[in-house]
Amino acid sequence: MANRENLLDRAGLGMPSHMQINGNTEAVVDGCGGVLEYDTDVVRVRVGRMIVRFSGRGLAIKCLTADSLVVTGFLTGIEFLL
Amino acid sequence: MFSLKITRWLMGYVRFSVLGGSPERFFNACARSGACLWEIASRRNSGACVAVGRYRRLRSCARRAGCRLRVRERHGLPFLLYRTRGHRGLFAGAAAFAAVLVVLSSRVWCIEVSGNSTLDTQAIRLALAQAGLSVGTSKSDVDTGRIEAKMMLLFPKIGWMNINTQGCIFEVSIREKADRPEIFPQDRPCDLKASATGQILSMRVYAGTPLVKEGDAVVEGQLLVSATVEDSFEGSRNEHAAAEIIAETTHPLEVRVPLRQTVRRPTGRSLERKSLELFGAHIPLTLSGRPRGDYERSGVLTDFRLFGTVLPLSLYREQWTEMRSVPLSLSRKQALGRAAGQLENYGRSLPEGTKILSVQTKDTEKDGTLVVSYTVRCEENIARESEMLIKS
Repeated sequence: MANRENLLDRAGLGMPSHMQINGNTEAVVDGCGGVLEYDTDVVRVRVGRMIVRFSGRGLAIKCLTADSLVVTGFLTGIEFLL
Repeated sequence: MFSLKITRWLMGYVRFSVLGGSPERFFNACARSGACLWEIASRRNSGACVAVGRYRRLRSCARRAGCRLRVRERHGLPFLLYRTRGHRGLFAGAAAFAAVLVVLSSRVWCIEVSGNSTLDTQAIRLALAQAGLSVGTSKSDVDTGRIEAKMMLLFPKIGWMNINTQGCIFEVSIREKADRPEIFPQDRPCDLKASATGQILSMRVYAGTPLVKEGDAVVEGQLLVSATVEDSFEGSRNEHAAAEIIAETTHPLEVRVPLRQTVRRPTGRSLERKSLELFGAHIPLTLSGRPRGDYERSGVLTDFRLFGTVLPLSLYREQWTEMRSVPLSLSRKQALGRAAGQLENYGRSLPEGTKILSVQTKDTEKDGTLVVSYTVRCEENIARESEMLIKS
């Protein structure tokens, strides 16, 4: 549902999600399917068929909507789990 | 970002805690239901902020996630208004404030007069008030064009005047006329006559026919240089006579100094009265009334300014000084000193370029008054232009 509403998907670009990382302090995830785990050192989110794991220090979800979220904090790693 | 904060504050929002269950599931459910959450805290102090209108709808999401919600903080205008619901005075005050703001913004707050150098500011303000521009007048009643015309008629010294409006401040800009010097046109014939009685010491004639010579004694009004010039063919023409005729003149001056006088001196007792002037209304700050007796009054009006703008508020300080009449006897020396002071003033009033050669003094005492007669010998230019009227 979230993916279908994704602007990128509707634009026909074939990409289910879009991620923008600003330095190591902010990550904007567009087209996310929900938050799986949320703590100050780990944030796991579902993005299409993948799970993206943000690790770091003082992590926080700045804003959360149906298909996007903004993770802020001191990011030390990003893992894509298939 | 700032506008977003302002919007959230205006709409109102709550900060809540999520207790028990799975906060992640709750956040996902909230997001899917269309609620926009921000400042989402993680597991240990799980919670978030949400718009006040959305909070009730989050309960079903919490139930599904097995969580409980607890409001921790309430922010924004709706809560502020809710807290003040019992204080009707606040609303009445706000309404009164709005009414006062509307009324005051339609009135003249202050009048600034600028550009006047010889004309008195207070006299101008008084005339403006009589013409219909005073503090407290409705702005719609002020006809600037009519007031300008009236002021120009009232003060002939005003060469140009303009009234500018800046909100509730009226700026009156004035340009004064420069006095035109009295000059006889050079193309019109004129004679030169003696401005004082005396003996001519030197003459420099630039134009015209001299009728006197050095060493001659002349009386006041005597023709010195004629405008009529005869040529070698016995023809004549009229010129604008010009000459510098230096003569020794004598000016008598009599100064009377009463030896017994009554002077007014302060007793040392004084009283200060203060009053505020707000929108033209006088508000006394001192409770004491006008003192009775022989008092002299002087006042100072101080305008209050804020960032260079005159406010409709001024402080008027009145100083009342008690005076008493004291008989004073002058010695002959003191009386002569006062007479000498008047002689000095007379010397300053003589025409420019006049040299005082000598002063003869003679004094007599008559009926308690010292009469000092001065004879001032001067060296001055006595040539005075006198227009020659020609009938055509």
